[in-house]
Amino acid sequence: MKKLSEMKQGETAIVSSVNGDARYVGRITSIGLTPGCKVSIIKNEKNRPIIVFARDTMIALNEKESSNIEVEEARG
Amino acid sequence: MTEKNEIVIALLGQPNSGKSTLFNGLTGLRQHVGNWPGKTVEKKEGSFTHGDKKYIVADLPGTYSLSANSDEEIITRDYIASGKADVVCILADSSQLERSLYMLSDFAGIEVPCFLLLNMSDVAKDQGKDINAKAMEDKLGISVVLFSAPEVKKYDSFYTALERAVSEKTVLNTASLEEKYNSIPEYSEIRNIIGDLKDGNRTGMWLAVKTLEGDMPVTAKVKAELGNEKAAELSSVIGKCDKGIVKAGECKFSWIDELTEGSVKKEKKAEGLGKFDRLITHRIWGKPVVVLTILLGLLLSFIPALPFMGIGSAIGMIPAPLNDALVGAGCPSFIAAFLCDVLIRCFSFVVQMLGFVFGVTLVFGLLEEIGVMARISYVFDNSMGKLGLQGKSVMPFLISFGCTMGGAAGTRVIDNWGQKVLTIALSWAIPCGAAWAVIPMLSTLFFGAWMPVIITVILLVMILHMWITAKLFGKALVKPSDRYGMIMELPPYHKPKWGSLLRFVFGRTKETFFRSFKVVLIVAAVFWLLSFTSSGSADNSILFKIGQAIEPVTMFFGMKWQTFVAFIASSLGKEGALGVLSTIFSGTGSITVGSMQSAETVSNLNELLLANISKPEALAFIFAITFNMPCIVALAATYQETHSAKWTAIIGLYYTATAMILACIAYHVGLLIW
Repeated sequence: MKKLSEMKQGETAIVSSVNGDARYVGRITSIGLTPGCKVSIIKNEKNRPIIVFARDTMIALNEKESSNIEVEEARG
Repeated sequence: MTEKNEIVIALLGQPNSGKSTLFNGLTGLRQHVGNWPGKTVEKKEGSFTHGDKKYIVADLPGTYSLSANSDEEIITRDYIASGKADVVCILADSSQLERSLYMLSDFAGIEVPCFLLLNMSDVAKDQGKDINAKAMEDKLGISVVLFSAPEVKKYDSFYTALERAVSEKTVLNTASLEEKYNSIPEYSEIRNIIGDLKDGNRTGMWLAVKTLEGDMPVTAKVKAELGNEKAAELSSVIGKCDKGIVKAGECKFSWIDELTEGSVKKEKKAEGLGKFDRLITHRIWGKPVVVLTILLGLLLSFIPALPFMGIGSAIGMIPAPLNDALVGAGCPSFIAAFLCDVLIRCFSFVVQMLGFVFGVTLVFGLLEEIGVMARISYVFDNSMGKLGLQGKSVMPFLISFGCTMGGAAGTRVIDNWGQKVLTIALSWAIPCGAAWAVIPMLSTLFFGAWMPVIITVILLVMILHMWITAKLFGKALVKPSDRYGMIMELPPYHKPKWGSLLRFVFGRTKETFFRSFKVVLIVAAVFWLLSFTSSGSADNSILFKIGQAIEPVTMFFGMKWQTFVAFIASSLGKEGALGVLSTIFSGTGSITVGSMQSAETVSNLNELLLANISKPEALAFIFAITFNMPCIVALAATYQETHSAKWTAIIGLYYTATAMILACIAYHVGLLIW
């Protein structure tokens, strides 16, 4: 189990859980990052939002807050 | 259905789903823009006729879901629940299909005739995506239309689907979704307690899933309907629910997956960043590239602005000869002067400013449409986050160096109301083009070689001012719950659709014109009355009497009555500050005219200023006008964008007060130096 914020560029993962307050969880859910969702990390640099690709969409996520998203590393 | 037998359509979709483009395409200029009752959210309604029927279109606020987290969401779902709409048209973005179908799944369970528009199908096609709308129709039981909102000539498929939804009352098939919900034990329990309860057009399934998600208003409503015993039972189940929203979300997306499976074929393309994206997301080059892009956009905005400016200043030529003609024809001088000095000059002033609004809305509307604005937001998310703002706020700030009104118009792309108001409030602190035309000249006149130092201090004060204002206003405007960082989709780049963009820009410009002309006219008329004298010499006007009477007070802020009157007049327009001083010191001309015209001054103004104003007073005056309200048109634009008279007034008074405080500090520092 890893935090999404710890993933590196080019890696792929499956979302396993989303934490945080109701509003954050609601927003993350509505953008499609629910458990079971496959995520590829397009870019993750310090002090910049993380860019991921999931559910047919390129998504930018605040770096700090994405430590609320736990993922399981996946292949390919 | 309205009383007049018109059919009401509500447009429902996430932000950037192309809802507004469709709305404009359908209604053209038959639109009415106002506020939702008691809210600061813009309400847009329009109408169109097709066949022999008249339709009313309600453009609901863009929201990501139908939960109850923001005013926009509550307005949207309450409107749908109210039953006012005969048909709901749900939009999804085909280029980001799975994610944007979330709105459809969140809507499922509300029994209103509806149909689904898969917008931006042209972009999806470019992505190599093949969508089988027919297959989706079979699963959903409603019409599914592949669509491109900017192509007005190809709206036939839209009208066909609309007519079918109206005549057949097609309701979304939700059986397969409820099957998924039923796999959540807590949902089944809630659903059992709720039983056959319905709330208007909202079914038991919808009420149950919202209760599971922890939706307060729905839960309260359900409890009230159920009665005490069952409500208590429900409370105990809700107590056990953990992250209902995530579980429900999983079901919704697995329903969406089933829906798209077999209906959508996609060529396997590498998901990655394009060339421009790699540049803009670069650690070092990202920010400079964004700043350059915006500055270039600012320059480009001047091109469409020029014709307006030309027309505006041509209108500004009318008053002088017209005044003479009117007085010659026996018109009372009071009326002639009002007509020429207030009405026509305000008109000329607003038209000139409008050119800039037109240019900015066009250029930055284009950047928004093709997808560049989302990237700008990404690059500046961290820096702007420190002020409680989102990354897009950097754009209005940079525009404000040119024109605050353009900056305010640029905040249109900020989707959170509080952050939008805060961005406007902060952009007022940025000296605009008119200030830059006056400040260096005054600084050089009084302080010679020290001019660069003064400009530097002004820029430092600007940053401090923005920081303090962000702290002061931020608490009330941006709730801690809104201060979550960026969660945003980066849409694929789109080709611009000029027709629909221009329609949008003309609509905005027209709206801005009427709103700002009203405000400018009222303020200018009051000011003109205060400074009107029948003798023609300004000395015995009310404004001057007041100015002279309160000079002991204004002197504390480093302003004699002359500079104070010029300071007040600079609220109309900063380029006028010199014109007003010229009027006062030379005793000729009208202040209202002076304040709206760029420096039509007497030739010996420099000597007059040097003779009448001391160095500390000059310093106070420079700070006072730099940080004063930018101009009345900016005030009007602020009102237009915030939809709040209260906040417009607060921002206006705040800037007048802080300008005086800064003048006071500058004056007393000046006294220590000289």
